[in-house]
Amino acid sequence: MTISALPIWLVDMAGSVLMIVFSFSCLRHIRELNRRDPGNLIWTYLLWVCYLLAGFAISRSAGHILKQILLVSGHNGAWEAIRPYSGSINTFMLIIVASITLFFGRAWKIYREIVRDKIALQTTHREMLNLNETLERRVRERTEALARSEKQIAQADKLASIGQLSSGIAHEINNPLGVILGYTQLLLRDETPGSQKHDDLKTIEKHVKSCKTIVEDLLHFARSSKPRKEDIDIHKVIDDVLNFIRHRAKSDRLHIEKDYGSNIPPMFMDEKKINQVLINLMMNARHATGNEGTIRITTRSDPSVSRVFISIRDTGYGIEEKNLSRIFDPFFTTKPTGEGTGLGLAVSYGIIKNHGGDIRAESTPGNGAVFTIILPVSARNERNV
Amino acid sequence: MKNSIRAIGPGLFLLAAAPALATQGHGDPEGLYVHQMSHIFFVFSMGILIYWLRARKLVRESGWRYIQYAGFFFILWTLDAFVAHLLDEQLRLVQVTRIDRWHIRLDAHSEWLELVYYIVKLDHLLCVPAMIFFYMGVRRLLMTVRHDGSVPGISEAQ
Repeated sequence: MTISALPIWLVDMAGSVLMIVFSFSCLRHIRELNRRDPGNLIWTYLLWVCYLLAGFAISRSAGHILKQILLVSGHNGAWEAIRPYSGSINTFMLIIVASITLFFGRAWKIYREIVRDKIALQTTHREMLNLNETLERRVRERTEALARSEKQIAQADKLASIGQLSSGIAHEINNPLGVILGYTQLLLRDETPGSQKHDDLKTIEKHVKSCKTIVEDLLHFARSSKPRKEDIDIHKVIDDVLNFIRHRAKSDRLHIEKDYGSNIPPMFMDEKKINQVLINLMMNARHATGNEGTIRITTRSDPSVSRVFISIRDTGYGIEEKNLSRIFDPFFTTKPTGEGTGLGLAVSYGIIKNHGGDIRAESTPGNGAVFTIILPVSARNERNV
Repeated sequence: MKNSIRAIGPGLFLLAAAPALATQGHGDPEGLYVHQMSHIFFVFSMGILIYWLRARKLVRESGWRYIQYAGFFFILWTLDAFVAHLLDEQLRLVQVTRIDRWHIRLDAHSEWLELVYYIVKLDHLLCVPAMIFFYMGVRRLLMTVRHDGSVPGISEAQ
């Protein structure tokens, strides 16, 4: 068969050129990949594959082009001389390309292990950061708790000192006051109501009674008697106090809202003392609202910490920030002289502390105040002690 | 006497041995055989590459899929080249004679063998597509890395 060699020649020449062009284009892209991520084993591997493919393309294509040119130009002898070298290089490059291709599986496996290790390292690093953050937060919380404890201890010390002083003074004053009050009331019997002397004696009686109230408050404050605990329904205690407050308020413009939690267990505590605390707080709230506002009582239980929270929020002006840290101090009051002894909150504070609880005040001036009583829910075995 | 006989035995054995050459000769056909073996090895390595790409499910990514196609075309090309070498150099079933600058004469037992030989000589029709697929694969890998930043397929292989 005699046939045209032109198609073979054209395909050989064009194909050889294209092989070189595309192998170098591959090399250019892989070099960019390698430049983007120089430590990546896969790109390094592919770069070597491309280098060898380019070498193979050059050796093969150069041989083919040279062959075609020499044969067409009639230099058969020259081609016969070059041919062994071209063929050997071609074979050599083909074997190298085939050899390196075999390592793809191994390279991929190693790379995958590197990636796994990297991810594990990153995860550990993240966990370490989280742990560090948690540790810092705990240290901060503990530091704050310590500061609070120190403050409470200081407050307790202060209350104890004042308590001792108060009880001494109160005890000494209480008896003479009783004598003054007794004699004043005796003298009043003999005086005609409306006379100047009667009015003077009434004034004395009123002020002596006021003094006695203060002294009794002082004695209450000083006597840290152990509470007589029993199971109480806190909602019933609050309702009793609210009835008392409503009665005292004598105003339709004082709104009282209740939001009782449904899961409040019976609480083991001294009803009278808790009653006293609630009256103190609600009377303060009523005073703050001026009988025209809203007092909102909220109760809720948090079983996770075994605590019951009772909040009393009023819509009064609130408490100035400078006073907020002093409101539980004995004799501190913002009420006008003669209207408050400054012992109500101090006594309440002592009662709640004696019950193992806490009392907190929050306020933004202009937006009212909220007092929160936190009481523990005692376990049955503790209650029986 | 006995000792003399014992000495003559090994001596005769050594004298009767053929001349031993220290190196093996590498004559004409070895180059062709090596070349043909390299084609077989190339088929094997491309087959392994395709197997790995498929076993690792990398072919779900278009870049690796194109490289798989490149491997497939390289296999076709190397088989084609193997057949061409087999026909004209190894088995000498086809003789090629250049008549003039642009014509050749093919001599074989049958015309279809001559036709087969002519077709397999156009081997660039297989190796150029293989290289183009390889180029497309690499380009797609680069595009994916530009977009995602990681080696395509590594997450699927975890």
